[in-house]
Amino acid sequence: MTRLSVLALVAAGYAAAQVPPPQQSAAAQHKSAAAPTPKAAAAPVPSWKDLVYPPLHTVAIPDVKSITLPNGMKLYLLEDHELPLVHGAARIRTGNLFDPPEKIGLATLTGMVLRTGGTRAKTGEQLDEELENIAASVESDIDETLGSVSFSCLKENLPEVLADFHDVLTQPEFRQDKLDLARTELRGGIARRNDEPQGIAEREFTNTVYGKNTPYGWDIEYSTINRITRSDMVNFYRRYFFPANTMLAIWGDFSAPEMKARLEKLFADWTVEQPPVPAFPPVPAKPAAGTYLAAKSDVTQTFFSMGQLGGVLKDKDYPALEIMADILGGGFQSRLFRKVRTEMGNAYEIEADWDANYDHPGLFLISGSTKSVSTVETLQAILEEVERIRSTEVSEEELKTAKDAALNSLVFAFDTKAKTLGRILNYEYYGYPRDFIQQYQRAIEAVTRADVLRAAKQHLAPNDFTIVAVGNPEQFGQPLAKLGRPVTAIDLTIPEPKKEAAQADAASLAKGREIMARVQRAVGGAGKLAAVRDFTVTQYDRFDPSAGRLDSSETDRWIAPSYLRQDSRETSGPLSMYCDGKLGWFSTPRGAGPLRGATLQEMRNEVFHVYFSLLEAGGEGGASVVAVDDRTVEISAGDQIARLAIDAATGLPQQLLYDSPRPSGPAQPMEEEYSDFHEVNGIQVPFHVTYRQGGKYLAESAVSQYRINTGLQLEDLERRP
Amino acid sequence: MMGHRLTLVLLLAAAVLPAQDVREFEKKVTEFALANGLHFTVVERHEAPVVSFHTFVNAGSANDPAGETGLAHMFEHMAFKGTESIGTKNWAAEKKALQDVEDIYDQMEAERNKGPKANQNQIDYLRMQLKQAINVAQSDVESNEYTRIIEENGGAGLNADTSFDYTEYFYSLPSNRIELWFLLESQRFLHPVFREFYQERDVVQEENRMRNQPGSEGQLMRDFVATAFAAFPYRNPPGGWPSDVDNLRRGMAQAFFDKYYVPANINLAIVGDVDPAQARRLAERYFGPMPARPLPPLIHTVEPVQDGEKTAVVESQSQPLFVAGFKRPGQDDPDDPVYEVISLILSGGRTSLLYKELVQEKKIAIEAEASPAYPSSRYPNLFVIFVAPAVGHTVVENQKALEDLLTRFVAQRINAETLQRVKTQARASLIRRLDSNAGLASLLAANYGSYGDWRKLFTQLDDLNKVTAEDVERVARSCFVAHNRTVAFTAAPSALRPAPANAGENRQ
Repeated sequence: MTRLSVLALVAAGYAAAQVPPPQQSAAAQHKSAAAPTPKAAAAPVPSWKDLVYPPLHTVAIPDVKSITLPNGMKLYLLEDHELPLVHGAARIRTGNLFDPPEKIGLATLTGMVLRTGGTRAKTGEQLDEELENIAASVESDIDETLGSVSFSCLKENLPEVLADFHDVLTQPEFRQDKLDLARTELRGGIARRNDEPQGIAEREFTNTVYGKNTPYGWDIEYSTINRITRSDMVNFYRRYFFPANTMLAIWGDFSAPEMKARLEKLFADWTVEQPPVPAFPPVPAKPAAGTYLAAKSDVTQTFFSMGQLGGVLKDKDYPALEIMADILGGGFQSRLFRKVRTEMGNAYEIEADWDANYDHPGLFLISGSTKSVSTVETLQAILEEVERIRSTEVSEEELKTAKDAALNSLVFAFDTKAKTLGRILNYEYYGYPRDFIQQYQRAIEAVTRADVLRAAKQHLAPNDFTIVAVGNPEQFGQPLAKLGRPVTAIDLTIPEPKKEAAQADAASLAKGREIMARVQRAVGGAGKLAAVRDFTVTQYDRFDPSAGRLDSSETDRWIAPSYLRQDSRETSGPLSMYCDGKLGWFSTPRGAGPLRGATLQEMRNEVFHVYFSLLEAGGEGGASVVAVDDRTVEISAGDQIARLAIDAATGLPQQLLYDSPRPSGPAQPMEEEYSDFHEVNGIQVPFHVTYRQGGKYLAESAVSQYRINTGLQLEDLERRP
Repeated sequence: MMGHRLTLVLLLAAAVLPAQDVREFEKKVTEFALANGLHFTVVERHEAPVVSFHTFVNAGSANDPAGETGLAHMFEHMAFKGTESIGTKNWAAEKKALQDVEDIYDQMEAERNKGPKANQNQIDYLRMQLKQAINVAQSDVESNEYTRIIEENGGAGLNADTSFDYTEYFYSLPSNRIELWFLLESQRFLHPVFREFYQERDVVQEENRMRNQPGSEGQLMRDFVATAFAAFPYRNPPGGWPSDVDNLRRGMAQAFFDKYYVPANINLAIVGDVDPAQARRLAERYFGPMPARPLPPLIHTVEPVQDGEKTAVVESQSQPLFVAGFKRPGQDDPDDPVYEVISLILSGGRTSLLYKELVQEKKIAIEAEASPAYPSSRYPNLFVIFVAPAVGHTVVENQKALEDLLTRFVAQRINAETLQRVKTQARASLIRRLDSNAGLASLLAANYGSYGDWRKLFTQLDDLNKVTAEDVERVARSCFVAHNRTVAFTAAPSALRPAPANAGENRQ
């Protein structure tokens, strides 16, 4: 999932060669090329080839051991007395990979509001003022596979900043107004996500390769962030933020024993426990080959991203693949740079990257931009280079240059304490051996030309590349189809917020509570509702001929909070269904099985729509209730949503609206209308329900018997006929 | 929560510490100048065996000759192409081939200069010849050898930057290879060869396209600056106007280099695991031979006083963006630190006024930031405020809110707490920047190049601490006035209709 970016003020300068340095992991010491020899008496300026270098000073890598506090939190402390600063970063194992599909953006919002929403004791604004007065910061963030809370301060302010840091990490308040603000910011990002073609290309490529229906490839939308409530964030925070799931690194100008004692005392009150966090979902292995064109008329260049799924850092072939990618497109001397930029003059930015992650496959990506008319010519040249590196060995010179560059720059991985500590924590967080970088160094040293060729042949599949081009096809010199691959158009339209996704802000929540209170009073009172533990209802269902179903009689039994059993006598024979809120089964004389697909969804909807559940929504049960207008609320919990409209005059429930799933095709809007109220156990219940689908009459049911609290037993509901 | 006593203590602290910081820091600094005027600042940081290098040249796009915009930037690209010994397979042959290219190009231009009397067939023929000559010259090139050497030897962060007033070249190396930097850096400014010039012109055109896509921030800012300045060369983008770039010649780049890349106009900073004595020896050896040449002239053009507010509308399909700039004096003006303070008050963190009002409270913007010296600081420039409206909110709405905010800012004197906060932030920010070799090298070289003294990095904090609330009020009152303002914003394409009543009203 791509990160949203908020615009930044553009710097005024122009960089010459915007080629990022190879993203190398680093090894400990660099061994110099040769033993020092006496300098030859040379001409005033020697050739660079004749320079002789002394051995590199050793890199002192501090051996930082973790300290586990009684509450399970792990500490990593590293002293650095050069400047009077202290920094800290807590890592929490969570990520937006855990977003529920209907609430994509939950982790991101939680990460934002964790800090901005303030703590139990201080509002976000109070924290802002206090911290900025002393030029300190406490920040929070949740990205794909990591949650973090960090701080930075001058040494003299450490006690008060640590206190604020502790409170943000352990007692965030998630105030509603900051959720509203964060949503405004994210909405702005969504609205602007198609304004810059480079961003489009990267995003569409990433999402296509990982799969747009997977946590790695889906994106936030207006609908998904509109549904997120404060209690969603609180629950997300509670599930993942606990000491045993937290690693805290602190580096700077302090004494380690003193800091340890201070933190033990400070975090002694953080003792919450949760079950271990599940593993992140795996990346689906489905290939996503294809050529995709996002037409944008207001561009002068085509921005392209092409490639495939990559691998992880631990892969045996990773070193060879990194060398391969470096030779192909990693810097000034790379094949793509020399060909497409220097020789053809067709690009300023052109690079190839085998971007491996620690714990899940990264992406092999070739990206750049070229003037519109050169689009196809450039893409063809790139594909040729990919074929070339797959069919013949790279030259000895190319191999040496790439290996030297990788090995000689390893020292930079340890050039600051922050980097060093970060690497140690990464290895521990992702379960890598402490000496991984030394292993990597040895592996790079051993890479041969044959290795590079074998790795390229085995792992690169250019015929199955995903190619994304963002540009103006009317100005391409040749049509994109000239590449010999079928071209699919990408629809960049940003989906409007779904109508049923009401905005949950302070006002609509308050109004929602008001409406719920009114309907509860009207049916007999919250107390009577709360006392309902089970019901048994017998009814007769009549269908419109177009529904394709014949009339039937049905007995429903329900036990709070979510156990529902339906037994109906169809003209075709008896049918029983059971659902516990999540899963269930069906049974007929001809056969039985688990509920699946649309039928499961329908039964889950039935559970959600149980009269008493709806009327009690909004309490601590986790459902959120948001007013849509003066007499309608939207009730949502998990992936379930429905709208309940009350009679303006009586306050009684009048209609229920929801989407009904179909086996294939889009869900159909359904409306249930309640009438013929009778009192049972002090509660007004509808004895007649009319069903309309897509506005058209579908069916109706009439109750013949309605009993509440007869002492139903769960095993009776669960027993198969 | 901030009692007066506490404030007083902090004020004192802020006044005392910078001097202390400088004295501590000075112990690690060695500076020297060669006979030819080239200045070096060397700082020892032995935390890790790495060194960062930064070369700062007091010449940038504002020095581009008229009709040759993009030249300083073009030279910057050339500085990576190597020398007579690096980047060539056969210098003698290549030299001749490069001259042939120029000769043919001269002929082509001579024909073109005939204007309506030019012979088009002759021009086409010469253009074909030119292509061939370029290919011949290319065959002697060892492409990208210069940068390959740096990367092979573990170079990190290799890049360069052409700004309006200066050009910078920088990278870092493992510290045992320090001599390589002295060799390569000195050679590129002693014997540069401007090879692959015309291919690189195409690359620069691609770069310019990339940065100025229609509807992009880059395009908005480019048009904004071009509108704000009628005369002063800040109005030209560093990448150059496309038609100028299309007509740049090798000889122009050579002339620019000869005029501006003189030792007294360049300073270098070296920070990291370095032995200053060794650095000096190497400097003498490798950079000594650079001949001293006279300093280039300063820019004489003075931007005339603005007669009234200026507005630029950029048609765009993108979401709206808006920028406003107010004319202000250059960095040598005694009020320079006041502009910095104003910028920090308006736009520095969540307590800053722009964020608090437009983003947090009114929620009409998702981003609102100020920049005190735009696009560059040496000569009179602009105090700039940039706003990205929130979904469903307009440029007009944000403009109005900004005007209200600035009017109030001018009218109400800021309180002591706010002033103290920004001074504390400035001090902490400086301390944080001392944490990086590359960052430090960049700051020291820039301060020496801009002010003639690296200590300015610290003493500017003293200047900042002297700023009073009265100063802020005085400067804000004179700066934030309508006739001093240029505004630019993006808007949906529209039919011909009277401006400015509807200007700025756009979709979403």
